Amino acid sequence: MQTLEFRVMSTNALIAAEGHDWATYGLRETRAYIEASERRFSRFLPDSELSQLNRAAGTWFTVSNDLMDMLEQSLDFYKETSGLFDPSVLPDLKRLGYDKSMDEIRTQGKVVNAPASARTLRQAQGGAPRPAFNEISLDLAGRRVHLPSGMEIDLGGIAKGWIVEKAAELLSTYAAVCAVSVGGDMVFKGYPMDGSDWRVNIEDPRDPTQTAAALHVGPGAVVTSSIAKRSWNQGGQSRHHLIDPRTGEPAQTDWLSVTVVAPQITTAEVYAKAWLIGGEEQAARLAAQRPEIAYFVIKSDGTLLGSQNSKEYLNDLSYI
Amino acid sequence: MKLLKFGMRFWITLTSVFSFLVGWAMLAHAPKPVQAAAAQPSSSVAPLPTLAPLQPLNFSSNGGGVQQQQFSIVQPSAPSFFSPRQVFNTGGS
Repeated sequence: MQTLEFRVMSTNALIAAEGHDWATYGLRETRAYIEASERRFSRFLPDSELSQLNRAAGTWFTVSNDLMDMLEQSLDFYKETSGLFDPSVLPDLKRLGYDKSMDEIRTQGKVVNAPASARTLRQAQGGAPRPAFNEISLDLAGRRVHLPSGMEIDLGGIAKGWIVEKAAELLSTYAAVCAVSVGGDMVFKGYPMDGSDWRVNIEDPRDPTQTAAALHVGPGAVVTSSIAKRSWNQGGQSRHHLIDPRTGEPAQTDWLSVTVVAPQITTAEVYAKAWLIGGEEQAARLAAQRPEIAYFVIKSDGTLLGSQNSKEYLNDLSYI
Repeated sequence: MKLLKFGMRFWITLTSVFSFLVGWAMLAHAPKPVQAAAAQPSSSVAPLPTLAPLQPLNFSSNGGGVQQQQFSIVQPSAPSFFSPRQVFNTGGS
């Protein structure tokens, strides 16, 4: 199997394909596609389509079919998760210091403080809370989007998965057996030539050099959300990028990471975040909505939990 | 010309008949196809494996009839004995 590793979206990407010349060409094309997609949907690039949409809040803005698809899916998932998945938390992310790419934050170290959440400030000043994500209007026929004034969206919770899915579809036109992984969000197409399953190791969030569990999966998607990776220090306080939309603050949870195995990567990505934010309290409700997906949880004390349907993905040795 | 036509007809007829006879002889001496059921004694026929019934999933149901996910604690896995090949790591980004 041929592989290609590179850095994109402030994380590591690994793409793989069975085959020879066509696979080599496909890997190059897929990398180019992923890099171009980042330029289109990154909120850190002022000329990206997403940044332009955010600047156009309060007016109708014409978007591409791809961005419309992401927004449509985001709206559906917002409703499905009762708001636990909410792309409109961008003002809170910026206030907490995540206003530049994670690579830049890591390079610069600490970020300046800005204490109260946008939601809290507005409410304290007697103003209405910031607009809810479902106040967004989509004109599917005209490909136009209207963000309410004051709304800014971050598609970080879904865009990476969406791009990985499209990249895997592209790569599969060159090699029927292939995989695309960006920052641990991965899609597998077909089965490896030796007839075995794909091997996925779940990192221990307390020590990423260690493996907490080894999975074997078929075609489909695996996604992990973790509060340990995109974290930083703000005014002496530890912050992470998973904002609880109910409070506007980083989610308070003793779950360090959630790994989801699902047929569709956008579903896996959204539910991994929803489970991490909602925690044990919301876990059963979310699971009941999507019985087809399995998930694993690593708690702060190192305990590994799995949903009932997760056992089929675990290496047999895990039960020893 | 007439002689040439006659010669050609004779030659085509002769080669056709010869080819037919050669083919007949080859088929007649070829080994007969084995009829599996008849050729093998019944005692050597392997019985078909019987599949075990699938284990039902151990979900509990709440009052509303909605399946409720239950947690089970599993041990962190031991080092894998899979053959060395591409392994993907997932840990968030």
